[in-house]
Amino acid sequence: MAKATQHELVIEVKNMCKNFGPTKALRNVDVSFYRGEIRGLVGENGSGKSTITSIISGMQKATSGEVFYKGAAWNPGSMVEAQKAGISMVLQEANTIPNCTVAENIFAGRFDEFSVFGIVNMKKLNKAAQEILDSFGISHIKAEDSINRYGFEDRKLIEIVRCVSDDTEVFVVDETTTALSMEGRQLLYKLIHKLKDNDKSVIFISHDMDEILEQCTDLTVLRDGEIIGHLDRSEMDKPNSEQVIRYMMVGREIGDAYYREDYDSSHGDKVALELKNVSLGEIKNFSLKLHEGEIIGFGGLSGCGMHEIGRIAFGLEKPESGSVERNGEKIKGCFEAIQSGIGYVSKNRDTEALILEGSIQDNIVLPSESELSHTTFISPKKEKQMSDKEIASFRIKCGDGRQWVNTLSGGNKQKVSFAKWTAKGSDVIIMDCPTRGVDIGVKQFMYGLIADMKKQGKSIILISEEMAELIGMADKIIIMKDFAVTKEFMRSKELSETDMIEYMI
Amino acid sequence: MSEKEKVTPADFLKRHVYDIAAYAGLIVTFILFLIFSGSRLSYNMATVLQAASAYSIIALGAVFVYSMGYMDVSVGQQVGVYAILMIMITNAMGGTAFGVVIGFLVILALALLCGAFNGAVAVWLKLPSIVTSLFLMFFFTGAQLLLMESTGTNSISIQATIKPADRNMYNVMLVLAIIVVAIIVTYFFKFSKLGKYTRGIGANEVTTAQCGVNTTKWKVIAYMAFGACVAVGSFIMLTRTGSAGKGTGSGYAMDIMICLILGGMPLSGGMKSKVSSALVGTFTYVLLTNDLTTMGVDLNLINFVKAVIFIAIIMVTCRKRDTILPR
Repeated sequence: MAKATQHELVIEVKNMCKNFGPTKALRNVDVSFYRGEIRGLVGENGSGKSTITSIISGMQKATSGEVFYKGAAWNPGSMVEAQKAGISMVLQEANTIPNCTVAENIFAGRFDEFSVFGIVNMKKLNKAAQEILDSFGISHIKAEDSINRYGFEDRKLIEIVRCVSDDTEVFVVDETTTALSMEGRQLLYKLIHKLKDNDKSVIFISHDMDEILEQCTDLTVLRDGEIIGHLDRSEMDKPNSEQVIRYMMVGREIGDAYYREDYDSSHGDKVALELKNVSLGEIKNFSLKLHEGEIIGFGGLSGCGMHEIGRIAFGLEKPESGSVERNGEKIKGCFEAIQSGIGYVSKNRDTEALILEGSIQDNIVLPSESELSHTTFISPKKEKQMSDKEIASFRIKCGDGRQWVNTLSGGNKQKVSFAKWTAKGSDVIIMDCPTRGVDIGVKQFMYGLIADMKKQGKSIILISEEMAELIGMADKIIIMKDFAVTKEFMRSKELSETDMIEYMI
Repeated sequence: MSEKEKVTPADFLKRHVYDIAAYAGLIVTFILFLIFSGSRLSYNMATVLQAASAYSIIALGAVFVYSMGYMDVSVGQQVGVYAILMIMITNAMGGTAFGVVIGFLVILALALLCGAFNGAVAVWLKLPSIVTSLFLMFFFTGAQLLLMESTGTNSISIQATIKPADRNMYNVMLVLAIIVVAIIVTYFFKFSKLGKYTRGIGANEVTTAQCGVNTTKWKVIAYMAFGACVAVGSFIMLTRTGSAGKGTGSGYAMDIMICLILGGMPLSGGMKSKVSSALVGTFTYVLLTNDLTTMGVDLNLINFVKAVIFIAIIMVTCRKRDTILPR
């Protein structure tokens, strides 16, 4: 890589290839990482960003090629080995150990430092853990508490605390910020800048272009497993940099047609889904009417109750009082919900929405087996036809429908979890953070799909932590705070994020 | 969709390592069988077939349960009780063919009931299925002892003709029984909701439930399908022995588990579960036992040798975490 820099080279990747079966995730990649920089890695889902960092941090081996770390050949056997050598990585999905305390999680694998003759001094361990938590400014997390008490975001912060120590030389942040609120993000930004100032190297993977442009000092763009180019700070500061980067990522003009262009919030008269005075836990007497051809967006901070509304509407959570109805029938569980034409794209893609150790076809046809079954017989040909149709229309990047979902990139996985419901022909789709962790190309595709669904008269509940997405796509936006509705906005050209924020916090 | 790229032999080997290991095991044991059987080949073949018939039918049924990542340790005791009950009912009805039919229907009903119990209780009480099957194991151990106590003997024999007098005819009957059960199980496992849902439950129960699958119902059905195979397997075993006692069926549960593992069935269940595991594994296991005997291995040492081979196969087929392409 041609980089005129005074900074010292810390990691050098030479001619790296990585194959997953027939899929070539990396093709002869050459890239170098330097001290004192925050290097952004951007590219569409499946472009190879995480593959590079996961090889550097010991999660997996390259098929061919070399890595040099501090001048010596580097081939770590595990993430622990890499971490001990100073390379730490935080991932998008939860990576903490359940049923243990926060302190035990922070010092996992390092109990020797606190033990004498095999007996761990828990008091000392808890004290040291709390000191670290305090130094990171997250004193609300208590070292001796069980990790189960904390939500996804706090666990992510605990994970970050675990990863970073005085010995950290290279810190990899892999799409972690999507799991964090503004507060958590600020904390992480502060940390990576501190590391940079201390002459450490930070590799930052994100799909949030604003974040990348604000936080990174350098940028490397990948596409289809190849390095497309590098940008330094001055190039990133140019007014058209965002368009340039997007073009490099996708290989074509993304254009301005990103969200819905119309401001027509009209919809059918018929109610497609109704929540009547629903109460569950802290949610009290919540009512909602979703009409045919309507997109209702839900916004708020994590923990505001919007995700729970989605789960109640799909029958996953049974309300203590009130009811969920569709076509006059009560929805008592997700079985009835699906039978009545409701689909649900879960926020927890890898644990709830997909069978990772199953093929794309297995996943797509699973909700539709009853329709495919004829006197107990399910025709493999019909299954393949259904799956192939969805793979083609969603442009899922894969060999064929037999490919396992766990070999797909995040965006393609998300397409599979969408495809299940389009294959089923669901008329009401509840989407909980449908574009979380997916790149702009896939996002654009999904927004187009949502807009088409509306035109077809389908009804959508769009739960999202991204306000721009809600403003861009929803006919009506419901803002929630502390499990209650604080404001409703109708679709409007004038609506801005600042209008909404004051009702969230 | 991207263009399809060529799969290298190394990729193929990596992807099918478990199948290859399972089939290689079967081939090796079969070659040893051919070598050591010598002039007694045809007799030995019949012995292997007869020994494998009950095992393979029960293992075929167990595929439904194992594909969900569950197991059942009560099979052996169930087989014992069903055999004893069948003999008692048939004998009480004068050893007639009608008595045999009634006896079989009774044990079939009982097996279905136990299957339903196993599945339903595990779901309702949110217990691991092994716990409910442990309960059934103790229950059936007691029932087996009580039934035998009531006869006042150590062993009872059936007073009806339940197998063809001609040895060849009998072997054909066994082969047909295995084929019929294998076809039925394959149909339901590969081409019906039962197999698709049990594999889904094994791979990710939460996702399967969120796809509108009533997992409780299908777990119960899977256990009942297994129960039906246990009843048929018990009857097949009885045709071979003609008698039953306090020890009948002991060790069957572990043997079935070993057969399935040898055949490449993942203990965690899921989408990689296959019907062929039951047949490949059962015949590998029975051939292995036969080989060791014909090779002159001391009877007392056979179990040790089996253990070593078993561990070796597990080590070869030990499932690594599948390579995951990160985002």
